Amino acid sequence: MTKVFVKVHELWLEMLMASFMSQNLESKRNLNDFSDILFRHFTWIERLLIKEGIEYDYNRDQIPIKVENLKVILQDLMRRINEVLLMLALLSDDALANRIKTDLEYMLFVLEKMPDEKVTAFNMNRKYKNITLSDEATDAFTLFLFEESYKEYELIMIYNYLKAHSNEDYLNKIFQILVDESFFHLKNFGEMMAQMGILGVPRVIHKSLYQIEDVVEFLKNGIDEELAAKEECKNLSKAVAKDSIELAKFFDFINYQENYHIALMKDALQYYENKGLNV
Amino acid sequence: MVQIDSELIAHMQNPHNYGRIENADSIGIGKNPQNGEEVIVYINAVKKDNDFMIEDIAFEAIACMTTVVAGSIITNEAKGVSFEMARDLIATTLGLLENVPPEEAACSEIVALALQAAIDGFLETLKSGKKQTLIYKIKQSCSPNKEFNAVEKDEK
Repeated sequence: MTKVFVKVHELWLEMLMASFMSQNLESKRNLNDFSDILFRHFTWIERLLIKEGIEYDYNRDQIPIKVENLKVILQDLMRRINEVLLMLALLSDDALANRIKTDLEYMLFVLEKMPDEKVTAFNMNRKYKNITLSDEATDAFTLFLFEESYKEYELIMIYNYLKAHSNEDYLNKIFQILVDESFFHLKNFGEMMAQMGILGVPRVIHKSLYQIEDVVEFLKNGIDEELAAKEECKNLSKAVAKDSIELAKFFDFINYQENYHIALMKDALQYYENKGLNV
Repeated sequence: MVQIDSELIAHMQNPHNYGRIENADSIGIGKNPQNGEEVIVYINAVKKDNDFMIEDIAFEAIACMTTVVAGSIITNEAKGVSFEMARDLIATTLGLLENVPPEEAACSEIVALALQAAIDGFLETLKSGKKQTLIYKIKQSCSPNKEFNAVEKDEK
């Protein structure tokens, strides 16, 4: 069953990357929706693994995505879907396997008909829309996108893991909001990376990062990291302000969103401390 | 800040040798005690002539993107070479870092020391017959004003 879990993880990420590559609005929307559905499959299989007491982690293979035409990645997605379809018999929950099967079959149907298009997400032009940035600002922006896209993926996986292993409704509500927020950021950064021609799949996360021994300490450190991220957004906003109001406003927006994350993490921290909980 | 070119971006998009080797012959860890960043290097080695050769290598990084790029480059260089050549590579890397600002040097140093720990761990395991995972702590600091004075060696 862990093998299906890994394969769905890889399929979900490749589908998400494909959605960043596509510039056809309808294809992009479908790919994006499918990646959301696949993430839900991933969480359902995870729940089943926990229920059955099967050990698992978020390890996976690297996912090659560099293509010149969308058709190539679509073919690979269909190959992966067929692979998962063949493995569904390994799931111990027939109802879940059937639910996933019908979703995957519909995805195959849509992907087969999806139009081909030229992919520019890897051309390394490092231009965002029609904005001209200085070399220094372009380098800073490039590094920011790589660091932060990984960070958001990491946060999705951490909060997802915490949620999967917690029976506290209040905490789970907070973890789910944080997962959703990180998805929003990851999608924004992914779109920007594709525009800049530097799209890459976030690297595999080391299990010590999500199999957290001390959640209270993790939340305290996390709050500090969010504060540092606010500073970085503030600096980036200043660095690009003279070249692009649009980008500066975007970084301000991300900066202000961190306030909300910090408030949620403080809430979770207080809940843990009040209830004397820890993993 | 490091100047970014297409070669560096290619390493960021797809870091070479990233991941782990299950049941690796040796695992070495480089650690930044100041901020908890870690690089884990996995190697499989085979006897060749009077030395050993790194047959396979992989790394994982709980660290920034610059460290990941350094890991991608250094492990690429180390793959398929003898321990002696790998030691030269480590010495060259550490030598090159002497003129680099500490906050930038730390990223490559942590990878070089993890590789060193994997090689030393392999040889110590061979000698003692007991698996050794070594952790080497870096000298450089990500904060330019604070420096660590000694390379510490711990056994996990």
